[in-house]
This record gives sequence, structure tokens and C-alpha cells, in this order.
Amino acid sequence: MSSPATPPRSLAEALRGRDDASLAALLRSRPDLVTPVPTDLTQLATRAGTRASVVRALDRLDRFTLQTAQALAVAADPASYADLLGLMAGDAGDPEVAAALPHALHQLREQALVWGGEDRLRLVRTARELLAPSPQHPSPTGLGPAAAEAAAGMSPGRIQEIVTTAGLPTTHDGVSAITALTGLFTDRRRMTALLADAPEEAREVLSRLVWGPPYGQVTADPAAHLRWLLDRGLLLPTAPGTVVLPREVALHLRAGRAHRAPEPLPPAVETGTAHSPESVDAAAAGQALTALATVEELLKDWDGGGPAVLRAGGLSVRDLKRTAVALDMPEPVAAFWVELAYAAGLIASDGEADERYAATPAHDEWLALPAPERWTRLVTPWLTATRTPGLVGGRDAKERTLSALGPGLDRSAAPEVRHRILTLLAALPRGTAPHPESVLARLHWERPQRREEDLRTRLARATLMEAELLGVTGRGALSAHGRALLGLPAPAARPDGEAAAAEPSGPGDKLPVHHHRRPAPAAPLSSADRADASAAAARLLAPLLPEPLDHVLLQADLTAVAPGPLQRPLADVLGMLADVESKGGATVYRFTPASVRRALDAGRGAAELQDFLTAHSRTPVPQPLAYLIDDVARRHGRLRVGAASAYVRCDDDALLNEIVADKRAAGLRLRRLAPTVLAAQADPATLLEGLRAMGFAPAAESAEGDVLISRPDAHRTPPRTPPEPVPDGPPVPDEALLGAAIRAIRAGDLASTTPRKPSGTPLASGELPRTSAAETLATLQAAVLTAEAVWVGYVNAEGGASQRVIAPVRVEGGFVTAYDHTADEVRTFPLHRITGVAELADD
Amino acid sequence: MPGVNGPLIVQSDKTLLLEVDHEQADACRRAIAPFAELERAPEHIHTYRVTPLGLWNARAAGHDAEQVVDALVQFSRYPVPHALLVDIAETMDRYGRLSLLKHPAHGLVLTTTDRPVLEEVLRSKRIAPLIGARIDPDTVAVHPSERGQIKQTLLKLGWPAEDLAGYVDGEAHAIELHEDGWALRPYQKQAVENFWHGGSGVVVLPCGAGKTLVGAGAMSQAKSTTLILVTNTVSARQWKHELVRRTSLTEDEIGEYSGTKKEIRPVTIATYQVLTTRRKGVYPHLELFDSRDWGLIVYDEVHLLPAPVFKFTADLQARRRLGLTATLVREDGRESDVFSLIGPKRFDAPWKEIEAQGYIAPADCVEVRVNLTDSERLAYATAEVEEKYRYCATTDTKRKVTEAIVRRFAGQQILVIGQYIDQLDELGEHLGAPVIKGETSNAQREKLFDAFREGEISVLVVSKVANFSIDLPEATVAVQVSGTFGSRQEEAQRLGRVLRPKSDGHQAHFYSVVARDTIDQDFAAHRQRFLAEQGYAYRIVDADELLAG
Repeated sequence: MSSPATPPRSLAEALRGRDDASLAALLRSRPDLVTPVPTDLTQLATRAGTRASVVRALDRLDRFTLQTAQALAVAADPASYADLLGLMAGDAGDPEVAAALPHALHQLREQALVWGGEDRLRLVRTARELLAPSPQHPSPTGLGPAAAEAAAGMSPGRIQEIVTTAGLPTTHDGVSAITALTGLFTDRRRMTALLADAPEEAREVLSRLVWGPPYGQVTADPAAHLRWLLDRGLLLPTAPGTVVLPREVALHLRAGRAHRAPEPLPPAVETGTAHSPESVDAAAAGQALTALATVEELLKDWDGGGPAVLRAGGLSVRDLKRTAVALDMPEPVAAFWVELAYAAGLIASDGEADERYAATPAHDEWLALPAPERWTRLVTPWLTATRTPGLVGGRDAKERTLSALGPGLDRSAAPEVRHRILTLLAALPRGTAPHPESVLARLHWERPQRREEDLRTRLARATLMEAELLGVTGRGALSAHGRALLGLPAPAARPDGEAAAAEPSGPGDKLPVHHHRRPAPAAPLSSADRADASAAAARLLAPLLPEPLDHVLLQADLTAVAPGPLQRPLADVLGMLADVESKGGATVYRFTPASVRRALDAGRGAAELQDFLTAHSRTPVPQPLAYLIDDVARRHGRLRVGAASAYVRCDDDALLNEIVADKRAAGLRLRRLAPTVLAAQADPATLLEGLRAMGFAPAAESAEGDVLISRPDAHRTPPRTPPEPVPDGPPVPDEALLGAAIRAIRAGDLASTTPRKPSGTPLASGELPRTSAAETLATLQAAVLTAEAVWVGYVNAEGGASQRVIAPVRVEGGFVTAYDHTADEVRTFPLHRITGVAELADD
Repeated sequence: MPGVNGPLIVQSDKTLLLEVDHEQADACRRAIAPFAELERAPEHIHTYRVTPLGLWNARAAGHDAEQVVDALVQFSRYPVPHALLVDIAETMDRYGRLSLLKHPAHGLVLTTTDRPVLEEVLRSKRIAPLIGARIDPDTVAVHPSERGQIKQTLLKLGWPAEDLAGYVDGEAHAIELHEDGWALRPYQKQAVENFWHGGSGVVVLPCGAGKTLVGAGAMSQAKSTTLILVTNTVSARQWKHELVRRTSLTEDEIGEYSGTKKEIRPVTIATYQVLTTRRKGVYPHLELFDSRDWGLIVYDEVHLLPAPVFKFTADLQARRRLGLTATLVREDGRESDVFSLIGPKRFDAPWKEIEAQGYIAPADCVEVRVNLTDSERLAYATAEVEEKYRYCATTDTKRKVTEAIVRRFAGQQILVIGQYIDQLDELGEHLGAPVIKGETSNAQREKLFDAFREGEISVLVVSKVANFSIDLPEATVAVQVSGTFGSRQEEAQRLGRVLRPKSDGHQAHFYSVVARDTIDQDFAAHRQRFLAEQGYAYRIVDADELLAG
């Protein structure tokens, strides 16, 4: 650890000088630095200076802190605090900027983007490279390069000319000339005097370039006013035809300010319409109920097996469309609900070979929960989910369509955006809806990210919409239960609606109290806290939700109206007995013959249904409804359908009695359908056999009822013509091959019977003949000429060795074509696989 | 503040459920009636539907979105979905952005208060042929002949135009109501007033509630030559009779323009049938519309208006139009044409309410379920598909049950109504009652109806010719033996035959004889739906019980 007295000479040293808390703050704000944990502070400093890490850190700065970093990037390196303040506040000063700057600088230091003492502020080199203006990357400050940089490529003669024209004494070298020029440019008094003489058009040109972009075009023969500027170095050439306004000149013209509009204060979230908190909570609760109903309906729709999973994962466009139609909502909204159910773990892919989406076991548990808990079980995962349904239907970088439930929908910024927006809403007085655009502006200020700016805005818009759909907000304002969900204490009820002004997080959004800029509760909740928050939200929501009813109103037009949510068992039975005609606060059911039949099919009896309706209706069951049920029930099941494999029929029921009573018939699984008919689960052949075994003499019956005469029938086809020969057979062997074949045949038995002529080295039994490659080739070629069979050792592609007798036909291109006596066919052998060759022994 | 326990439930499909037994139900009904169409009115919960047409009707009647939203929020039991309120406000806002005006220099013009809307509709291919030159950025000329067309087209585009171009007065003709010993009922007065104030439009009243008098009232306001379009000749006669009785008009001032007579008088009553007769591809009787300078056109039974009449009506937009109907439900779904060509709904009173006021007789609706005999069932099962209904609707068993009903109400004035002539002839023979059918001459019909009114005959067997507008106030029992398949409005019309208030306040009976377990029963269920929704609960009686009892 270096003594704090000596100023640090590097970022590593600066880090070394920081205490543990401050290092912890750094690692918290830049978690990428800890993975993996660096070995020492030097490594930490190095990692903090890598481009990827710096880019990430810069992306997470709020607008003012970023502006501060940008100002440092155009300031001298190192710069003093006074320099920085000058750049940020301008010559005239700006109390708001002056008040906000220390905090911004603290942020930059904490994030290890700036180090060094107040008099020697140093922006990390990588950050400086990223933020400093260059022709390729114009800075948001609109400033150009410093005069020294811009003049780097100029001829010394030209520099001296400029210096002289600007009214400065000549110097001996270019460096001192530039220094003198820079000195002039940064001297406000002398600059003012210099510019006072400028022609009107020249001042006009400067005013066009002053706020950037600082580059301009000039012709080869510039006009007089441009020449006046060029001659004094107020414009410096960068490339043929292009000039730039040096940074110092621009700063002079801007009265020292690096930014046209420094934004030290976050834009306030403007309030839109204010409703009474009660009506907001009621509206949100109503929407929460709708949300539950929607998810339940979705799951019911998928209950008997949901749509198939695409091969690439996700839901097909057609299935999404179908679901949207079933839920009677636009597709993007349907995608949201599907994703919500997925995030809450209520649906998942079933993982079968024919993969489909289906409800999870958690879904059944969920259904059993009381409504407020069901709601929190949906909303809590929504808060932390990174999946963004808003992207569904768009395309990814590879131009693949993004499908609901499919891959590529995760956006890590989503939970943070959601949490931030809800926190902002929580800071407004109760019952007050924000102006959505001002929320977006505020969010943009907090993360003026240059990349993916569009994404955050989309996420923010989606969050506002989704919060409304879920009933976290009502009429645009955060509801009490929504607030509880964030773990925020419920504000004291004040009749005048000024309650929020007294809240700790309230003023931070309107007044420059900077330590509140990162609102304390913005930190994501731990899982235990989240559970508490959910429970609190559920407690607040519970009294707002209508109590489930245990009755419906039955009407003579064969409808039933449930004037509110129904208790689950009641809703389930009614949903089976009648079709839902209209949903919302109430549910309208319509009884139809088909719906009543459905209930009967599910095993309910007519009397049971009548009792059920009587029990749950406040009014007598209307007569047409009672008739409907009785009429359907009367006809229901009058015809019975079942499957039997065979039957036994007999005019004598006594005989059938006998069969049924016989124990040996148990295996046939006979059932009496009528006095003279038995149905069997065994097939006819088994039945016949079984009955015969029992000593009966059954006869088989055809489908038409005739007795089948069982006589072995010869089975014949209708007249057929023999098949035509297919001309595309094996090719006719050419003469050479035929000759070889014949020779080989003759040699055939020779191979098996003839003892081999001993070659150079006598072969052990079973050992492959071995000869050199040249010898092999020569022997084979000789064998072709003499038309003799030879003995070869051969190793096939799998490494299996064998001995073969072959009669070579030709040897060419590294292959030998030969009649193989061993395999009895003509084959081609690669020469390199032949281990050796031996002549057959003469007899 | 939302009503903690209001009578109204707003559904997500934009239906409104009103609990009728609730103490605020009446207040709520009055608040939502202007913009929501009563769809069903069974005993406990009435269903209203909010449709764009309904919202525009409300706009046309001078209500604004705020009133509508207030009514919903005030009476709703549960919080009203915000999106729904926004949607309502937006829909209502679409009406009146465009209006048709009479420009002093350019004649008929379409003007807008919202230029982008005008730009949008002008870009439509369907609008282009209907308009003339652009007069200024907000105004465009419209060919006067296309006044109806452009209204229809704009409605289809979702930007209904308010027609403020006014009406021609037509040829003046003095017509006064003769209110001696009777007076327009309050709701009839209200209907006439609303109509006259609105200029053109539709009055919805239940059958038997005195729609003819609303027509007469409107004529006495217009005091100009009038063309009345009715469904058939009998109905035409009825109108004539009523007008002579109730107004200062004499027989000679009223002409009948039908298949048999072609009179054109200051007040002319024409049938739809004659107007839509086509010869060689042209409608020869169209000239009727131009034969006089009509000041008022009355459309009886608007829900039956045949498609060609819509086409003619499109050309009559400069004349006042009054539509009369018991229901805006059209089986062909052309409600929007009624809205754009005849006009918005100007008055509407639910059936039950008028019954409660005693202006129509209470009715006891009974469905008699007849078990077919085994041989009939077998014959039914083997009948050709297209013959099935005819067969089961005309079985002998049904005839016997019908006779039993007639016997039971012996002494009362009974109508037996059916679809199939053979069946009716047979019934007539068995009951000893005269039969009125298509081939019965008009003179003969009039004679029989008169005899029935006078009580000379107590049972009358009628075919569907008597579905409409036959005034038989003394009929107290109607027995329906067969119908036009599942037509809901036919059922309503037939019930209407017995709903005329009885001199002795007697209850009316409506029996529908239906063969059980056949297609007849399915059709009956469909037919009854409208009435059941209007609060007429059908009792179901087994034929065996009826025969025994």
C-alpha cells in the first residue's frame, strides 16, 4: 500500500490507495471486473482499462456523468478540477453544474474511469480514446481536434506564416510556434481582440462550426473570409478540401463550455392525469383479475396439449395467431401472456419426442391458490424476467424470425428497466399517472447509451403497457399493491395527494439532491425480501378483488350469469355444463344441448345436474333449462357403442348361460349383451378354439351372417403377366474379363489344392506373402501376360489380412483388376494393399 | 366514483349486463339506453351491447363520449377496463368529424373538422367516384346524387358522416291527426318528436305498440305528400284504413300502389313487392319515387327492407325518411345500411316496458312438445333431408294436439298459424274454420278478417300471408303449428298478432306446437330466442299433459 501522501502515478496505484468499501463499490458497479477474480490490483487496473470493460462502464453512466467524462476527454491530460468545471459550466459558471459536478466526478472515480488528485484528474486512457473526438468518431461535444493535433502534418513554413499573420512573433521551430498559437487561442482577451477584426462572413462561418460538426469544406481557392480564417489558424486544413475548427477556438467561441447543454439534473417525470388513489387501485385490481382470467383461459386452451414446439424452439406464427384469436386479442398481446405464463413456470415444453407446450405441475398448484397469490406468482417473475415479448415477430441479427417462447428473446436490460420505471412511478404522488414520454426521457437521461438506445425505449414502452395489463398500474398510475411489490412502504394516506412530496424518494426526482440520484430502493430485492414484498402486495390486493361467488343467475333464455368471479369448483362444473358466451367482470354462460351432453359425457347424471343448478341458483331453475337437461339426458346414452373382437350368438339362451357360467370361459372375457348374444374380447379364432376346448361345436360366421365353411382355400391372384426383364442389368463382361474369369475358374481348384512354390523366404502357414512393391508389380504384370493365377496377401480397408488366389486381368493406375478365386468374382485391388505376391506352385 | 355495488357489469366483449332487480336498475337503464342496444332482456339480467353503430346513434342524438363514459363508470359494479373507455371515446369521436352540408355556392359538400381524416377518406378508391372538386382544404364537393352512397361508404370506412344537408319540404299537403276519443300514447308522441327533431331515422317499437300511429304522427308533422312502403297488400289496406280513421285524410287522398292497383295520390302506400318487381333487368315501378315531390317516406318493417329498396333509398337522401320496426336485428346483417341510408335510431322502447304500461297485452307463451308416434318417427328418420322439417312440422299428432288446444279455448278468438298449405287446409277442415292463404283473394281476406273482428267466426287458419301488420285486436290465442324454419322475427311478428291490447284486459296466449326430438324442436328453439331474450319466458308443456288436462 502506497502512502496516500504521494500522488498515484497510475490507475493501479490509485486503486491501491482506495479503501475496501470503495473497491467494493467499484466491483459492484462493474461486476465484469471480478469474473474471474483478478490476482492483484495491477491486474484489476489492467482489466478496468480494457476496451470492452470501459465501453460497458461508459454505457452505464447517466447523461451528466457521461458529459463530464466527455469533457475530460477533450481537456488536457491531466486536467485540474477547475479546468473540468470550466468546461462543464463555461466561463460564466452554472450553479447547477457546479453543484452536480462533484457527484459526477465521484461516480467516475468510483468506477475507476478517472483517477488522480483534484489537480491532476486523469481519464483512463481507453476511455479517453473512446470519447476524444476524431474524424471517424465525432464527439457528442461537437469539438474538433486540438490545434496541435490538427497542425501536426503542416509544413513548418506554413506554421510560421500562420503564427506571423496571427500577430505572434516567429519562433525557431514548429513546436514552439504551435504552443504560442495555442496560447493565443486559449487567451480569451487576445482572442477577442483577434476576432474583433474578423470579417463578418468569417464570423458567420465560425458560428456555423462552433457547436459542431467542426469540419467544413473549402475549395482550392478559398474566398477571402475563409482565407482570413485559414491564415490565422482559426481553421486548420485536415485533408485537401476539408478544414476543421481547432478545439481551442471552438471553446473560446463557446465561452469555454464543452457541451452546448450540460444536463446536470435528470428531467423530472411529468405528471399526467391524477385520479383518486382508490380508483387507481380499483382499476388495477380489476385489471389484475382480468390478467388472471386471461392466463387461466390461455392454459385452459392449452390444457389438452398445447401447440407444438418449433424445431428451433418457440411457438409457430400460426399457433400464436390461433391463440390470439382464442383469447380475442392482438397477437403481440397474446405473445405477452404466453411469455408471462412461461416466465411464471406455468407452461413449458413437455420434452417428448413430438415436443409440445403444456401446463406444468406448478400450474395446478397455482390454480389452487387464492387470487391475490396467483397474481403475485405471475407478476414477481415478470419483474425479474429478461424475456421481452415485445420482440416477438421481429428478426434477429441472422434474419431469423423471433418466435414467442423461442430463443433470442432475452434482453438483460429488461428487469432493470422495469424496476426503474416502477420506481419512478412510485415517486409520483399516489394516483398520479406519469406522462409516458417524460418517463422515457428520464430513462434516457439515466442511460444515454449510444448503442441499443432503441431497445431501452422499446423496453420502457412495453413495461408501461405490461404493467397496465397486469394491473400493477391502474389508469397509468402505480397501484398500492404494485408499490408493495417493489418493497416500498405504502405512503401515508394524505387527503391532499401531497403525500409523495414528503417521501424520501420524491424530491430526488425534482431537486438536485444528488445522493438520491441512485435511489436507495432501486437495488434489486433479495429473494427473501421479494417474498415479503409479494406477500405484502397480495395482502393489499386481496380486499380489492371481488369475493368469489357461490351462485349464478339462471334465466329462461338458457343463459346463466355469474355476476362476479365464481368459486373454482362451481366455475369448473359450470364451464363443463355450459359454454362461456361473454367474459369480463361477470361471466355469461349459455346452455346448449351440446354443452349439456358434454357434462353427461363427463359422467354427471341429469338429476345431479339439476340439483347442482338448484343449489347454486338464487332463483328457481327456469323450466326450459330443466327441460333441456332432461331432454338431452333422456337421449344420452340410449345408444351404446363399445368394442368387441368377436361375438357368440345362439338362439338358445340356456346354452349361453352355460357358457357364461363355465369357468374355462373366463379367458375369453365374454359379456352378455342380450339374451342371445355374447360379446367377447378374444378374437374369433381364439374364441372358436376356446369354445371347442370346452366341448362345444361353434361355427364361424361371416360379416354377412353366413356360416363360414372352413376349408383350406388355395389362394390365387387374378391373371397376371410375368414381369418384363429389366434391361438395365449387370453389364456384359468384356472379352478380357471373360477370359480372365475362365482362366480363374480353371485356376480355382489349383489354388486350393496346389502347394505354393516356395518364394525367397519360406512362408509359415497362414503368413502373408511379402514382397517389395516393385517385385509385386512385376510379378502381377507378368501374371497378366502369362494369364496365370498368383497367390497374394491382401489387407483390406479395415486392416483385415487375407490370402487370395487371383488371376490378374490388367494392372493400371495403382490397381490390379483380377478374378478372385477366393471370392469367386472379378474385383479390383489397390496395389498398395497387396502385401506380397507368390507364384502358385507348379504341380 | 364507481358505484360500489352498481347494477351494471361491463364485459370485455363490450356487452353490458344489467341486473334488473337492482334498485338503481332503472336509472342505469335510462343512462345506457342512448348508446347501448338492448340485446337480450330475460328475467334477471339484461344484456346490452355497445357497438360503433350504437355509439354513433348516441352521437347523432346529441350525447357525447363523456356522458357515455360517466354512465358506465357510475353504474358499473367492477372497475371498467380503461382500454374500453378509451375505445368508446375514440369511436364516438369518429362521428361528426365529417359532415355533409349544403353549401350556398357549391351545393352538397363534405366538410371536415379534422383535415387528416378528410385526406384519409379522399384517398379511398371507393370515395373517389362520389366526389367532385376540392373547394378548400377542408371541403370537397359531393355529387348530389351520391349523398346516400357516400354515407354508406364513409360508414364502411369507419368515419360516419353527419348529414346536415337538410331536406326538401316536398309538396305540401294538409294532414292532421283526428284525436277524438283517443290520443297518441306518451311513447308514441316521444317517438314522433324524436324523429322529427332528428330529421330522419328509425323508430323501434314492439309489435302491437302502434307503429302505424307513429307514422301518422310523423305525417301530421310533415304535412306533405307521403310515400309509405309496406310489406304486402293486406298491410297496405290496414294502413289506409287506420289513416282514414285517425287522420284528416280521406279515402280519396290515399292511393294504393300494389300488384293490383297503381294509384298515385298525395299519400301513396306501396308494397315492397311491387317496387322490387323486375322486368327485363329494370325495375319498372321505380318511377313511383319520382312521380311526386314526396316530403316524407315511411318504411314499415325496416328490418325486412329488401336489398333493392336500399339502392333506391340511397337516391332519396334529400327527403325525410322514417323507418318503423320491431327490431333492428336483420337476419342478413345489413344494420349499417339502415343506419346510413334511413338514419340513426331515434326512439326505442323495450317490449316489456310497454307491456308494463298496459299498451300491449301480456302474453303467456307455451311450447307444446309433442311426442311423435313410432311410425311417425320411422317415417321422419327415413325422410329426405330437405323434407324432414316439412314432415315433422305437419305430422298428424301435431294436428290432434292443435285441435285439443283450440277446443280448450273454445269461445275465444283463435288464430291458427302455419307454413304449409296442406296442413292448414287439413286443419281448417277438422276445425271447421276458414283458411286464409296466398291464393285467397284480397276481397275474401278482408271479408274473413272483418268477420273475425266482429266475432262471427272465432277460429281462423292463416298462412304466412298474415305474418305482418294485420290488425286483429280481438285475437287472444295464437297457435303456431309450423314456421319458416328458424326465423326469429317471424316468431316475434306472430306473437305480435295477439299482443294488441284486449278490450277486457285479457291475457293473450301463444302456443307453439313442436315435435319433440326432431329438427322442428331445433328450429323452435332458434325462433324463440328473440322472444326469450325479450323476456318472454316460454313454458314447456308435454302434449300428453295437455291432452290429459
